[in-house]
Amino acid sequence: MKKSFVLGAVAVLCAAALTGCGGSKDEGKKYAGQTLHIYNWGEYTGENLFEMFEEKTGAKVVMDIFDSNEQMYIKVANGDAFDILVPSDYMIERLISEDLLQKLDKSKLTCMDKLSDGVKGLPYDPENEYSVPYFWGTVGIVYDKTKVDMADLEKDGFGIFANPKYKGDIYLYDSERDSFMMALKHLGYSMNTSDVNELNEAYEWLVQCVNTMEPEIVTDEIIDSMAQGRKALGLVYSGDAAYIMSENENMGFYMPESGTNLWSDGMVIPKNAENPELAHEFINFVSEYEGALDNSVTVGYTSPNKQVMEELSGEGGDYEGIDAYIPRTGNENDEVFVYDEETRKVISELWSKVKIAASNA
Amino acid sequence: MKKFSHLAIPYIVWSLIMLLLPMLLLVLYAFTETGNDIVTFSFTLKYFKKFFTDPDFLLVLWRSLKIAFKTTVICIFLAYPVAYFIANSSDKLRNILVLAITLPMWINMLVRTYAWIGLLSDGGILQRLLEMLGFGTHKLLYTEGAVLLGMVYNFIPFMILQINTSLCKMDKSLKEASFDLGANRVQTFFKVTLPLSLPGVVSGISLVFLPAVSSFFIPKLLGGGQYFLIGNIIENQFITVGEWNFGSAISMIMAVIMMCSMYLVRRIEDRVSGNKKEETARK
Repeated sequence: MKKSFVLGAVAVLCAAALTGCGGSKDEGKKYAGQTLHIYNWGEYTGENLFEMFEEKTGAKVVMDIFDSNEQMYIKVANGDAFDILVPSDYMIERLISEDLLQKLDKSKLTCMDKLSDGVKGLPYDPENEYSVPYFWGTVGIVYDKTKVDMADLEKDGFGIFANPKYKGDIYLYDSERDSFMMALKHLGYSMNTSDVNELNEAYEWLVQCVNTMEPEIVTDEIIDSMAQGRKALGLVYSGDAAYIMSENENMGFYMPESGTNLWSDGMVIPKNAENPELAHEFINFVSEYEGALDNSVTVGYTSPNKQVMEELSGEGGDYEGIDAYIPRTGNENDEVFVYDEETRKVISELWSKVKIAASNA
Repeated sequence: MKKFSHLAIPYIVWSLIMLLLPMLLLVLYAFTETGNDIVTFSFTLKYFKKFFTDPDFLLVLWRSLKIAFKTTVICIFLAYPVAYFIANSSDKLRNILVLAITLPMWINMLVRTYAWIGLLSDGGILQRLLEMLGFGTHKLLYTEGAVLLGMVYNFIPFMILQINTSLCKMDKSLKEASFDLGANRVQTFFKVTLPLSLPGVVSGISLVFLPAVSSFFIPKLLGGGQYFLIGNIIENQFITVGEWNFGSAISMIMAVIMMCSMYLVRRIEDRVSGNKKEETARK
């Protein structure tokens, strides 16, 4: 979901290199000479994806990279033309409400029946009229099985981040949304609450956590650090957890019963797209077995393609036995994030204060 | 010469647009409420009140000033001998040494600071080296020491170059005169060289202290997300919280603090070098 911008820059270079070798042997293919403009997260595509797509269609792929939904939003809202965007759930909702997306032509989409049911028809786009899922997952706790007692996890849930037994041994993720999700879920509230008292209670809990637990508040360093087993507990996205667990067999992934955030990023076509026809082609290609497999193997996030997900998590797959790879469905406490500008402001201000409290602790 | 003064017009226009206008906007933002349109402004002091009544903010401010002060002092004591050595070496060697000091500055600061993450991280080279030398295992990254190191490392070239320039500009015959009058090397250094190089030290201080006190990416990278300096608070207000007015108010408070501290430093310098002048005049 979020990748640091250095990684992003590297990915830009890679994308440039990939698109550079498009070759001229594409004469006669349906989309020869056309260009597809994609705006996506860094490090978020399979290593051969574009090559395969260019090979198949004869079109050329150009990808720009963003490192937050908000950054992408500003560019799109200012009229920059792309054929495909890959925003997160709440941002898709916002783009739909601001009439920046075009409806997908279902007659051109051949991929919908290959996707898992759990990732279709989510509240931000109930009929999948505008978006086709790209990756999905949850947020949970990655823990070192040799240091953390399973009973503590089951008893405390997200509260384990305030359990003095693990003082100095935890990572928090430097994201206001995920941190408040954790706190609100621990306290038994909705992660989408706009109730000031509930938000304040979550804030108090986080302050108490940073004051007593000596956490390190990090961003993507958490992935390598947990893979190397530097600390016992960390809050991570399930896709990152899958990577961590595939690197370090001592690591486990736990999603508290009190609920967590079920997130997804989807492909959408903006209103001002120059080549919607080719964009539909790309959506199909990414969602079909071949493209979805390449994406998921490289990136480590869960593929919406059912066959790919089952194969990778099944016997002999890259993520065999790694439960973090399969997002949890069916827990009624799990929620999808809903965008609300007012609440976002309150939460960011409170999170900023939590970090100040942490640095004064 | 006067006809050339028109050539300054583009520069003046440039500074009006790029320097003065943003400053005025900052001041305007600092004193107004969120959500103004162009026609109506509601002026307020609430952002200043918010800052000064919250002990958390003041504590961060205090820590920022402290670490900037430490950085400056360390820079002076490390940079002076280096600059002195450079200034006293042969022309050829001096050029090479000045190049060696400036060379790292050709690489972006951010990149160089990222490199420190690798060196300081757990299991990194420095930690292993300390272990091998028998100092035990210490956590290096995400500590105040790491931030201090990052600041000294990034800002020390400015101090060296400033002191070096003022030492080079110094008239060598003054030193010779001092020797002729019977002063030894130590006396000459403290009575002649040091006072004459003070302007370099002072401009070095402003080039080190000011960026150090407002730095935000060094603490962010080397101090971690749980280490906030005042620069991080300002960045946060603008980038993530979206409270431009509060961010502007803090920036203004910082600007005032910096101007006051610079004024103080200049006063001290004036007094020191002024005394020297009087002394020499009396003699």
